[in-house]
Amino acid sequence: MSTCNHKWEMADIRHGYLVMEGCPRCGGRAAFFSTEAIAPIDEYQEGDHYWVYLGSSQATKFNLKCVECGKRVNLDDMMGLMMSTCDDPECAVVKIGKKEGKGTWVYVALCADSTHASGKCVGAEGIKALNEYFNQNIKVPGKKITVVPCDQCCNIDRCKGIVIADTGLTEIY
Amino acid sequence: MKLSELANKAGLKAINKYKDDNFEGVYISDMVSDIITGAKANTLLITLQTHKSLIAAANLVDVSAIVFVKGKTPAADVIELADKAGIGLFVSEVDTWSMALKLFNMGVR
Repeated sequence: MSTCNHKWEMADIRHGYLVMEGCPRCGGRAAFFSTEAIAPIDEYQEGDHYWVYLGSSQATKFNLKCVECGKRVNLDDMMGLMMSTCDDPECAVVKIGKKEGKGTWVYVALCADSTHASGKCVGAEGIKALNEYFNQNIKVPGKKITVVPCDQCCNIDRCKGIVIADTGLTEIY
Repeated sequence: MKLSELANKAGLKAINKYKDDNFEGVYISDMVSDIITGAKANTLLITLQTHKSLIAAANLVDVSAIVFVKGKTPAADVIELADKAGIGLFVSEVDTWSMALKLFNMGVR
């Protein structure tokens, strides 16, 4: 087990598009990151799903690397981050924020499949590293960032938040 | 340099209450996805962007204050969110390049 007190920095920064798709048959949502020059808008069959383009935004993906021990944490399973503004008292994200106390800002790490049908979301190692990264340089006393995976959201369509994405810029094309 | 000194010397108009702390460096960007990978804690962010997601990004990386150039002013809900996050908001009438030059000439690095 590593005893390193990790000091994270961003690595493998890629600029591209976060493409959102929906399946009209099951109501599922999916997202993928594309580094193509123009965001792909193809519709296609995948198993029982028929994925239709819903929209895209310019986005950035990154991994984290410890400058002390060289450990890398892959964040390929994270599609974006959302500042939670959810006010549903039954939502786990809201409960986590309340438990952490005043000065805590909860951000939701969004995975590719909002249905979580596969049982997967952003991995625990990535969530831990994101929490360490975003808190390691905070200067404001009492401020804390808490990153949680999106499977904690009450409902991906109802759980309120502000997604950090450059929506609208793709219309330039 | 303290934010109040910056505001005075650069002719910035404060549009919310801000904590008059020292800031350390500047980042210029109009893309929130770029801000989370480029801006550092306690820096000054210069932008044209006034969307709420700007505050979500700036808060995540602990930006100290934001200067909106070309007279752009964010909506009331954006200012309210910045207040909650403790991020100072300023407006300048000049463009991004002129703002950058002003800061450089003031010795900001």
